[in-house]
Formats: sequence, C-alpha cells, structure tokens
Amino acid sequence: MKEKTRRIVAFYLMISPWFIVFLLLGLYPMLYGLYLSFTNYYGFNMNNLKMVGFHNYRTVFTDSEALYAMGRTLLVTVINVPLGTAIGLSLALLLNRNIRGGGVFRTIFYLPSIVPVISSVLMWRFMFSNDGILNSILNLFHLPRINWLGYDYATVSLIIMLLWGAGGGILINLAGLKGIPKELYEAASIDGASAFQKLFRITLPLMTPVIFFNVIMGVIGSLQIYLQPILLTGSERSELLTRPIQNNYLYVVHAFLQIFAFQRFAYGMALLWILFIVILLITIILFTTSKFWVHYETEQEG
Amino acid sequence: MKKAATLLSLTLLLVVILSACGGNANSSKNSDATDSNLSDATNTSAESGEVVTIKTSISDGELSKDQIAEFEKEHPNIKIELDPVDATKLAAKLATGDAPDVIRVNGVFDVPNYVIKDIAMDISSQIETSSVINKDDLLPIADVYRFDGKQVGAGPIYGLPKDWSNDFAIWYNKKAFETAGVPLPDPSKPLTWSEIMDLAKKLTMKDGDKITQYGLAASEWGKTEPNFNNMLQYLLSAGAKISASDNASVNFDNPAVKDYINMWVDAVKSNVGPNSLNNDQTSGGDLFTQGKVAMLIDGYWYGGVLRANENTKTHLGDFGMLPAPTAPGGKRVSPTGAATGAIINKNTKHPKEAWTFFEWYFGGKPADDRAKSGWGLPIFKSKVSLLPQDTDFDKQVYQVLQDELKYSGDYLEVNPYLSNSGWAIFDKYVQPLYFGKSNVDEAVKGMTKDANVVIQEAMNAIKK
Repeated sequence: MKEKTRRIVAFYLMISPWFIVFLLLGLYPMLYGLYLSFTNYYGFNMNNLKMVGFHNYRTVFTDSEALYAMGRTLLVTVINVPLGTAIGLSLALLLNRNIRGGGVFRTIFYLPSIVPVISSVLMWRFMFSNDGILNSILNLFHLPRINWLGYDYATVSLIIMLLWGAGGGILINLAGLKGIPKELYEAASIDGASAFQKLFRITLPLMTPVIFFNVIMGVIGSLQIYLQPILLTGSERSELLTRPIQNNYLYVVHAFLQIFAFQRFAYGMALLWILFIVILLITIILFTTSKFWVHYETEQEG
Repeated sequence: MKKAATLLSLTLLLVVILSACGGNANSSKNSDATDSNLSDATNTSAESGEVVTIKTSISDGELSKDQIAEFEKEHPNIKIELDPVDATKLAAKLATGDAPDVIRVNGVFDVPNYVIKDIAMDISSQIETSSVINKDDLLPIADVYRFDGKQVGAGPIYGLPKDWSNDFAIWYNKKAFETAGVPLPDPSKPLTWSEIMDLAKKLTMKDGDKITQYGLAASEWGKTEPNFNNMLQYLLSAGAKISASDNASVNFDNPAVKDYINMWVDAVKSNVGPNSLNNDQTSGGDLFTQGKVAMLIDGYWYGGVLRANENTKTHLGDFGMLPAPTAPGGKRVSPTGAATGAIINKNTKHPKEAWTFFEWYFGGKPADDRAKSGWGLPIFKSKVSLLPQDTDFDKQVYQVLQDELKYSGDYLEVNPYLSNSGWAIFDKYVQPLYFGKSNVDEAVKGMTKDANVVIQEAMNAIKK
C-alpha cells in the first residue's frame, strides 16, 4: 500500500511541470471562459457581473447569424476536408517515387504551410481580383471574367485558397508511405498484381490510420477557420475587425467579431463552447465510424 | 480511487490558490479606483522625487522620440512609455485593467462609449484652470469630446482631439475633369450627395469594357461603397435622427436612411469607383494619386498626402478641395468623422502626471508642430493661421476651409451603446444589395434588429 502511494506521488511529481502548466494555462482559463459565458460580461464590467443563466446560449440559437454561420462552416468543412485529404495523399504518392529533384517538389508543395497566412491571403486577393491572373487565364480562352470575391464565387475562392495549402499534410503522408513494408509490394508483384491493385489493396488500406488522422485534424482545423475569410473578403480595409462577405461569414469569424468588434465577450464564449461541443460530437462520430474503415496492424485496445 | 483523490485534492488546492489571487487582484483594483478619484487629487501615489511612468497608446508616428525626450527633460519625474494597442488589444487590456493611462481614441465614436463605460476621466476642471490650454481659444469641434450622457457636444469634457478634419469633404483632380469635359464645381457652396453621384457617373470614362477613369473614391483605403460613418453625416445634414432620445434603441427604418442606401447602391451598380461588383482591388487613395479617379471623399488631412506623394507633389496645382456635400434639401454641415485624440483613463494610478503629459501634448509645442505640418486641423482658433498657406494649392484649400470651419460645430449622432459596432452591422445588410440579393426594406429591418440586440446587451452590462 505504502509502495503504491509512493509510486503515485512519484508519478505526479514527474508529470507536475506539464500538469501544473496545463492547470494554470489550459484548464483554468477554459473553465473561466465557461463561467463568463453564463454572465453578462461585456469587456469592462468585471466588477459588476451578473449571472444570466443560459441566456447567451439561447441567443446562439435565436439570433440571425450563429446558425447561418455554422451552416456555412460545415459546408466549407465538408468540401475542404475530403478534397484536401485526397490532394495531400495524391501529392504524397507522387512524391514518394524516387525521381530526380523530388526534394525540390516536396519543398515547393510544403511551402504554403510556411508562408504566413496574411501574406498568402493578400497574394490570393490580388490573384482573385478583376485584373488578376485567374481572370487573365479565363480571358485567354475567351471565357467571361468572374467576380471571384463577389457574392456568388466567394466561397469557391475561399476553398480554392484553402486547398492550395493542402500540401501541409504531405510530410505525415510521406512518413506513412515510407512505413509500408517493401515485402508486401514484392509479394504482390510476384502474384502478378497491377499497379492499381497494389494501390487499392496495399497502399490505401495501410494508409487509413494516416488518412484518419488527417481527416480528424482537418475537420477540427476547418471548423475553426476565421483569418482567411476575413482577410480575403473583408469588406473594407484589410483589418481584422471587418466583416467578410456574407457567404464567407463562418462560425469563428462570427465569434471573433462579436468578441472584439462588439465586446460581446460572454456571448462569444457561449459561441465557442457550442463550437467545442460540435467538434466533440463530430470527432466522436468519426471515431465510431473508424472501426469500419481504418485498418490497424496491431490489435487496438477498447 | 486513490489516484482520483490525489488529483482532486491537487485541483482543489490550485483552485483555492487561484481564487485567492483573483480576490487580491480585485480588491487592489478597487482601491486604485478610489485613489484615482478626482476629488482625491492630493492622494496621488507619486510623492515628490519619485519617477512615475505614464503609458499612452498614442502612436510613435504621432509622438516622436525627440518630443518625448524634450518632455522628459522638462519633467524629470515623468517617463513616457508608448504602449501601442489596436482595438482588439485595447479591449483585452481594458478587460484586465491593464490599459494605458492616456488612451488614444476616435473622438466621434469612442468618447461617448467610453464615458458610459466609466473609462474616461472628466477633465473639465483641469482644463478650466490650465495655463497651457485656454478654454476660450478652443474651436467648437473640440466639444466632440464632451458628453452629457445623452448627447455629444454638451456636458463634462473628457478629452481633446489632437487634430481633426472635415472628413466628408471632396478632393478633386482637375485633369480628370478636363479629360471628361466636365466643368469644376464652384467651391464656395456645397453640392448635394446626389449631385456628387451624378457628377461621378459623368466623370467615369470607359474604353470598351475597360474603365479608364473612375468618378469617385469613397475613401483613401477601400472601395467606393457606402459606410456607416458617411451615412451619419448624410443623416445629420438631412436632420434625421435614428436613435431614441435616451439612446435605448435605434431605428434604421427612416426615409433618409433608405434614400442614402438607394443612392449609393445605384452608384455601386454604375461602377463609379472600385467596388465589390467590379472586384477592382486597387485602393481609392492609390487610384487618386495615380490620376485614375476624379474625386475622393476625405478631410483636410489628405492634403498632407498629396504634398508628400511622389506622383502628386510635382503638380499640386491640379488638386483642390470642395466643401462636404449635403443631403438633398438638407442643411450645410461639415462635421469631423473621427477627431483622433485621447482621454485619460479613469483608473490611472497617476492622474496628475497623466494630465501634465496630456496638457503638454494637446496644448503645448506638439500642437504647434502638428498644425504647421498640415496633416490635420488644430483645435485652437489661434493656431489655424499656422496651417500651410504658401503654394496656390495651400491657398485654395485654406480658403475653402475658412467656410467649412463655420459649419463644423455639428456632431455626428453616435449612439453610445452601439458606438462603432454600427459599421459591421451596416456592411452586413448593405453588401447583399449590390448583388441584388436583398432589398432596402429588409436591409433596414435587419440593421434595426441587430443594432438593438447590441444596444440592449451593452445597456444591461452597464446597469449597476
């Protein structure tokens, strides 16, 4: 018994640097935010807080914006994540071959993940502009110009820009591909398997854990997008507090503007906690489906 | 079980520690607040000889290192520290009680809002007794920093503008008028906004599909689209009020609001400037300095840009200022749209030193320096003559300005609870109109609904 206590104390002592930092900088602010979401906190009335119960949460479901924004966010996620994952994987498959200059391509495709968001968005903003490169290409084929940042195409443009960064998953995909044993391919070759069969019977099944990881991270990231729409289709100055065009009014954009443009801190906290629950639910759903399609080499514990 | 118990006790311990911290922070904040109470002016924490640091969010472009050094030499007991904050950071700093002592603000939108939030210090008595700032020498525009709880322009003084401009005036490029074969309007009397729009359409030149010259840019930074600020000037001229007298609600369903929106939506659809429809990403200011747009809505300060810009300073004679337009049938007004300046943080620990700095910055030598530079208008009658008057360009602008000054004593009607939240709400409902996705009745209805939610929540938070 004494031995056990000693071990427990030792365990917590050893993890204490991380654990204390987590409590102080992770858990405490989060719970504090949760508490604020039940008050009427407005940015300056800290000494005069009133509890308002679920008022802010009710507002999320009754105001004209939050649910609309959630719908747009889910739409962007549903398009962005599968496409992004597929592109990331295909690029990795191409780059996995031993071709000359492979390293250069790897760098090029990974570059969008290194360029700061603000500069890449500004670059795209010019490419999407009326005299931008995209319209020039359309012009070359005698096609009509498109208002890329206007009402009808803004979301398409946003998704194109997001997919440009799909190479970010290349590193982890490549690591996954390198981990597939060579013997499997050799055995398949001996059995006379075609390249397609190898891809669909060996590579993809063995890559499912990596794909699964990319999908989960992609969904979590996609639901929290806010900087790109604000910078790409913000209405006026390239400032963070401007409103993007209606179609790109995503959920976290809404929360960000409510908190920092309108000082509706409490309502913003409620918005973010609801987002947390949505992310949690989607992740749980994805995890339950995973046992039907994700292939693990080793037995997984419950 | 044992594990859980240990975890629980650890957590509890931390919670206790943290709540203790929180309690301390709160109580010390309260005592600060009483310290800094004005009636307690003698109770300031700076004893003689002690050096105190005054933090200000005035930017380094507006307060140079040399100026700071000069001030610190004259006042060895005060150190000035620049604490640049954007709106986001300031909101966070105000929330944690860590805001600068002298806070840079947009006079028109922030002052009423900061007053009702109890952030701005009443400096009426300091101004009354000041030897640097002569109250009788102030132009009416300085009163934009006064607020009596309901209306701007009356009540206690909460701060001063560092400078200001007649922000709704029109700058023109004579060459562009000649290209279009349109005569220059008479600068001695204002046009109406609808006349400006008609003029803008005539000045917009096309070569086939391509626009070679725009008629109008709505601002130096963005697109030729309406904005909340600009609408408030139109409403002021039309004599239309959208806020209830106690500011507890706002109603955009007003004929003047609809006229304003319709007029602008038509202008956007006619592509008189870069906008969301033609997706031209060049800013109004770039177009104007390159001679590709005939008119630009901006205040006196824009003359500073023209004097400094490489493209324009060689032929300044081509440019000039027209008075701020009016609503059709409305009265002539030329209010300021911003009047950037500062307030003193009510919770400052050093109200006396903060005032010393404030007085020097707004009434002392920096004020003269600013007036001479021509980047904005002074707030003192006696300093107006310091403005540049050398070149023909300076003279034209200065002359139009003399008239404009007579009409600058009206203030934009800003709802203190809504403050500048109006910008985003206005944009949200007007933007779909350009694309024909909504109609003006729905737009004003939506604006009214959203704005009243914000007002209601702000009022609930302020009510003790």
